[in-house]
Amino acid sequence: MKPITKINRRRFLKTTGIGLAGLPLATNAITKITPADKIRVAHIGTGNMGSSHIRWFSAFPDVETIALCDVDKLRLNDAKKLLQSRNPSANPDLYSDFRYIIDRKDIDVVTCATPDHWHAMVAIMAFESGKDVYGEKPLSYSPREGQVMLEALKHHNRIFQLGTQIHAGENYHRVAEIIQSGALGKINTVRLWKTGGTKGLGFPPNEMPPEHLDWDMWLGPAPYSEYTPVKCHGTFRSFFDYSGGVFADFWCHIADIMYMSVSPENLTSIDARGEVPDDGIADTPKWIDVDFKFKDLDVFWTTKPPQVPNAENMHIGAHFEGEKGTLTCDYENRIIKIGNETFSDLPEVPKTLPRSPGHQRNFLDAVKSRNQPESNLEYARKMTLPMHLALISFRLKRKLSWDSTREEFKNDSAANFLLARKYRSPWKLPDY
Amino acid sequence: MKRILALAIILAFSIGGFSQEHKQFISLFNGKDLTGWTMPGEVPGFEVIDGIMVAEPSNGSDIFTKEEFANYIFRFEYLLSEVGNSGVLIRCNHENPWETGVEVQLLAPWTPYRDDLHCTGSLYGHVAVTNRPDETTGIWHQMEIRCDRNLITVSVDGQVTTKANIDTVGSMKNKHITGAIGFQSNHSKKGESARFRNISIRNLDLEPEYVKAGFFEEDARYRKPAHAAALKIGAPMIEPLAQLLSAKSPVAQSGAKQVLFDLVAESTAPDSSGAKKDAVAKSLEKSLRNCSEASASQFLEWLLKMTKSEN
Repeated sequence: MKPITKINRRRFLKTTGIGLAGLPLATNAITKITPADKIRVAHIGTGNMGSSHIRWFSAFPDVETIALCDVDKLRLNDAKKLLQSRNPSANPDLYSDFRYIIDRKDIDVVTCATPDHWHAMVAIMAFESGKDVYGEKPLSYSPREGQVMLEALKHHNRIFQLGTQIHAGENYHRVAEIIQSGALGKINTVRLWKTGGTKGLGFPPNEMPPEHLDWDMWLGPAPYSEYTPVKCHGTFRSFFDYSGGVFADFWCHIADIMYMSVSPENLTSIDARGEVPDDGIADTPKWIDVDFKFKDLDVFWTTKPPQVPNAENMHIGAHFEGEKGTLTCDYENRIIKIGNETFSDLPEVPKTLPRSPGHQRNFLDAVKSRNQPESNLEYARKMTLPMHLALISFRLKRKLSWDSTREEFKNDSAANFLLARKYRSPWKLPDY
Repeated sequence: MKRILALAIILAFSIGGFSQEHKQFISLFNGKDLTGWTMPGEVPGFEVIDGIMVAEPSNGSDIFTKEEFANYIFRFEYLLSEVGNSGVLIRCNHENPWETGVEVQLLAPWTPYRDDLHCTGSLYGHVAVTNRPDETTGIWHQMEIRCDRNLITVSVDGQVTTKANIDTVGSMKNKHITGAIGFQSNHSKKGESARFRNISIRNLDLEPEYVKAGFFEEDARYRKPAHAAALKIGAPMIEPLAQLLSAKSPVAQSGAKQVLFDLVAESTAPDSSGAKKDAVAKSLEKSLRNCSEASASQFLEWLLKMTKSEN
């Protein structure tokens, strides 16, 4: 229970070489937003996904984008141009250090599209400074971060939406309704897959970071490393220091439909197999298969589509096996099989789930109503956790037993060690 | 007098050196039976007579080590009967040895006369001898086959006969680089034979410095076995690999990082012995003390904490 006080933060900024000179004076405490008010947004991380954030959020009449932040000045300038192409009157403040945004009292919402190893720190500091967060997936770099994020969110009474925009679509809501209706009977097995894996990326030499990139800030809480371009923009997920590969990237998109539909509980064991590439410095899975055991539910992740009808042409998918039938789906399609008959819908199943007004709109409404959105932090954390545990099993090359009440591995201290990572100084994951 | 002393010292050193090298060779044949060997064919092609491995029946089974080897120095003595024909199969899978591996030929030279690509010492049909050995039959000869990643060197009676860089031999492109070692059964007519004794091997993949050098290989065909060998060696590999964390080569550096993690991971398995974990932790501590490079130290420190499970 130690929110960072202003004084602490001042000291923090000082010790990390960032003065407060030039910052706008802190005004009074955070003002409450009324439905008529504009929501003042800042985007942190303006690369690929960050550009989508700029496009999405600038389209809302009740959003005013007032600040942009990126550790790469080239990207930051592009982001400004992108924003102004959408909204010529926009005049955002530009920062290469997100702590300037954290310190501003006139920002209501930050969106975070940094690399994974920054997600937790940005969100937690935003919560502590009274801001709501739309954060890219995966939720966090480590399971421990997910716990602290949730604690910080609750303590500071903040709103969070994970950027799993597929969640908001019609198909996921309809799949969840059909499965929850019991039309397929009790679901005993779910198969999830995503084709493709990490590429090796060759063996490039280390080099000096370019002038326009603050590489030390890009690394932030991650271990210090020499710079080479493939570790940074676009391919950072190929490295365990920053992420967990294609698996970490896509797990939450497709595990989402499983959590929406059957809310797996009481995970007891995780058994991952796979390989890392041998043609480069990348070290995350080239392929990974995982067997999860939940209470009354077996879940299998594979890098190749499973041997079930219609799966082979889907690069990503989920296949539910129930006592009465099966349902295979991806982001937009669903195929229901009951006996020998195939359906695309079961009209007799009523529409019971409220539809999302769109993932970003759902978040902005939550910012105003103070009711958590669909992919809120509690939900997102539960859904993300098995992904992290599978990667620990993959790295240790052994089956692991999980105590879901204590949220720790049974009888494996090294596996428990990997649930958290100590941040590189001066960054520190707070305790709550 | 001084000169004699110096000579004595040189002699003592060279003998010492010899015995040390000698120690790294282990016998693959106990002189009594065929323990450690397998004959997959229906009719046995080999038997042990008076401490010698004898191949006499024609069309008998070839014989292979049960263990697989990738990089090694293999030494043995052989004696061929008057028109004897046999061979050594290296880096092969004994189910299809000629497809997966190659044969180092052992052959009487008048059966009829065979060229340099098919005589004793050649990699039969792939690489010719450049220095044809003594092919006299009826007497014992020594052969040494050295498999050093992409280089294969054959010597007979102390003279190099054949040097092959397999990367430059098109017909060997798909050959395995690890596998069993075998002897071909009597491939001549009935009544002929081949005899083998003093069969020993120095397995280079058990030697940390040799394995470490493999981490620099650009070609994954040679680099991956080095990674696997390092894992097999275990704790003694930690210090050499920790040095590679500061190597200028990204190939060596990234490989060392991965294998160090894997070594630590393996030592922390719940069923791993406490002694193994201690040995790994001690080597990490020592490596850390000798490490002057910041990101390497940071990584070693993290691994050390993992062995002690303190975050």
